[in-house]
Amino acid sequence: MNGSALEPSQISQSAAPVRGRRFRFILRQLYKTPTAAFGTTVFLLFLLLALIGPFIAPYSANEQVPSEARQPPSAVHLFGTDNLGRDVFSRVLLGAREILILAGLGTLSAILAGTLIGLISAYQGGWLDEVVMRFFDGLLALPALLFALLLLGILGPSVWSVLVVIFIVYTPIVARVVRSVVLSVKYKAYVESARLRGESLGWILFKEILPSVQPVLAVEAALRFSYAIFLVASLGFLGVGVQPPSPNWGLMVQEARETFSQVPWALYFPAAAISLLVIGVNLMADGLKKAMQESAGE
Amino acid sequence: MRSDRQIKRVNSHTLIGRDFGKTTMFKVCFYLAMMLLMTLLMQACSDSGVTSTPVEELSEESARHREGLLRVAVQPIVQTDPAFISSDPEVLIANHVYDYLVDVSAENTIVPRLATAWEISEDGLIYEFTLAEDVRFHDGSPFSSDDVVWTFNRLRDEALGSATVDLYSNIVEIKGTEPNLVTFVLAEPNPFFLYDLSDNHALVIKSGTEEFGTVFNGTGPFKVEAYSPEDRLEMVANEDYFLQDQPNLAGLEFIFFNDQTAQVEALRSGQVDLVMAISTDQFISLDGEPGLILLQVPTNGFDLVRLRSDRAPGDDPRVMQALKQATDREAIFDLVLQGYGEIGRDSPIGPLYSQYYTEETPLPELDVNAARDLLTAAGYPDGLELTLHTPDTGNRPDLAVVLKEQWSEAGVEVDVVVEPESVYYGENGWLEVDLGITGWGSRPYPQFYLDVMLTCDAKWNESHFCDQEFDQLVAITGTTMDETERIEAYNEIQRILIERGPVLIPYFFAQLGAISDEYKGFQMKAFPGRSDLRPVTYTGE
Repeated sequence: MNGSALEPSQISQSAAPVRGRRFRFILRQLYKTPTAAFGTTVFLLFLLLALIGPFIAPYSANEQVPSEARQPPSAVHLFGTDNLGRDVFSRVLLGAREILILAGLGTLSAILAGTLIGLISAYQGGWLDEVVMRFFDGLLALPALLFALLLLGILGPSVWSVLVVIFIVYTPIVARVVRSVVLSVKYKAYVESARLRGESLGWILFKEILPSVQPVLAVEAALRFSYAIFLVASLGFLGVGVQPPSPNWGLMVQEARETFSQVPWALYFPAAAISLLVIGVNLMADGLKKAMQESAGE
Repeated sequence: MRSDRQIKRVNSHTLIGRDFGKTTMFKVCFYLAMMLLMTLLMQACSDSGVTSTPVEELSEESARHREGLLRVAVQPIVQTDPAFISSDPEVLIANHVYDYLVDVSAENTIVPRLATAWEISEDGLIYEFTLAEDVRFHDGSPFSSDDVVWTFNRLRDEALGSATVDLYSNIVEIKGTEPNLVTFVLAEPNPFFLYDLSDNHALVIKSGTEEFGTVFNGTGPFKVEAYSPEDRLEMVANEDYFLQDQPNLAGLEFIFFNDQTAQVEALRSGQVDLVMAISTDQFISLDGEPGLILLQVPTNGFDLVRLRSDRAPGDDPRVMQALKQATDREAIFDLVLQGYGEIGRDSPIGPLYSQYYTEETPLPELDVNAARDLLTAAGYPDGLELTLHTPDTGNRPDLAVVLKEQWSEAGVEVDVVVEPESVYYGENGWLEVDLGITGWGSRPYPQFYLDVMLTCDAKWNESHFCDQEFDQLVAITGTTMDETERIEAYNEIQRILIERGPVLIPYFFAQLGAISDEYKGFQMKAFPGRSDLRPVTYTGE
């Protein structure tokens, strides 16, 4: 499960080609099961939309055309227009980039910090480990959304606050996961031998231990990412995250709720986008987990 | 559903009639036990005068001329003491249990209620009211001028801490000269004193009353039969009401809903008969629904966009003028209010106050280039960056988003910050921020807004506006007994606000509601809580 069966010395010797081969292997594994294949396709599709969205969006996200307000889906407005005359298709399309960047950056920073803290804390052990982990336990005792609301209450709503919230909410979780893996490999022979060779702390942590953590980390990153997407959307929906008129999907759902009986499509499409992306990334994470296990067993 | 509307309550425990197995049996027993427990608890909690006789029994004897039960969907109430009520349903309920001395009609004029006639002294300082005869409280005790004196002394007692203490600070003395005569003596003339006497809180209470949570001892057209907090409040017609021909209905039932959508759905399915606070979106969705009459009433409620004028950038009036010239009011009216209500003219004196409202001064024209020029002249050639604070309720977030888009054309970049009302109004943040949107409710006369919002030392002067000429005019309108002089001063006030006021009022709301077509004679008021259900008649079968 945690990939400790990998021969880390092999990886450290010729990392690049092996990594390339493994990436292709994992992708192949992902496309073996239909659910993972679906999830991966959905995710890649959204990624593509986020990249090219601004070039193919027929309107800008906030352009209001009063005369075109509350139009049902048509050839001109694929997803219809909302109560303020904004094109829902363009908003959903442009919202993809925002939500992926926010959730992606937040997850990435949480993964980096969590890994670093988890590695050091577990390897050093002793009082440092004790203090850090008890502190994280305290943070984890609070439900994520409640904690996020608390933080946003202090920071005030903005894009940066949302990033900070994802970072603070997910770093402890990642750190704990990493720590558990490190604890299980910390006394393995190859780590001991590195220590005896007199390698530096950095070398031991990043060249000897980190490779064993990588598979778990990849799965954890995918999972965190799907939760982060949902968190960004939830915060938008609750009105404490990204502020209007940003095309945040959660925010769009919240705004459309008020005018649901007249312009239901302004709610359906962003809601569907959230569900589809979250389900997609989740299925992909599941597949990734399986692939990692297979890869470890190979 | 609609035919059995007369005097039946919606039975929510239909599960008893079902064919059930063992688990259902258990569930039913559990429900019954819970209900029994609840009933016992409620009995224990309300050792009061409120008995819960079913509405059905009482309607039999009154069926001769009073028939029909009107079920009104409202938000749950919290306050039952008239001195502290504030929300629509709180006022609506109190308004039917108690009576005002004088009332405000749907046409915004003063009409008699417990006071049948009044005389005002030449200098405008002494008001003498003649009270209705043979008025009794629900507990059978007679009503007299003592109760009026007691009620108003209570309302102006600082120890009580009601919002009315300020309102009635101008009263020197209240005397009950005869059992049916009351005299109010004022320190200064107040042309709106009759409106002040009809303030939402000024319901006449039995002298010496101390308990308001469970005892509802008014003189009003309906008696409270049963009150289950957060569920419903039931009333039956007061057979001894001092007006012989009212009320027409046999009973009222106020059913509490937290959710506005649920209220509308209950109306659609015939579980309630009247809803008085409907969002524009839902109102439009009710269009064409059979069996419903849609109600639309103009109000003087508005959203106020205001810029602090005592510090940069608002200290240069040209900045606000630029914002006004960058605002497309027609588009806002269509997008945000969907055409329900009226377009505003930057003064709180709206078209509802027909005698005081004027369109004499032209509004700044929509002209983006002129707006840019004004900003350049004010020292902002590269445009402005502003943060717009708005509560998350009503149409305000929509208004903020539309303004952001419109103003960006003129080089004003706005960051919208949508806050819960508790944050927006909390710790007086709304009085501090530079640019904000505040919702103001409808009032029966315009002086209130000027006094509390726009004079130099006004309590809620959120725009920090201070203009000597303006203050002098407000002093005139607030004291003169000469109607022509007041109209002229109000016209000037509207001119000043358009020309240099740091406020932008894009629109006035309409109050939207709907009632079942089996009821006739209902007239919704601009403040729906003050609507009068006494003349409503039931015409269904």
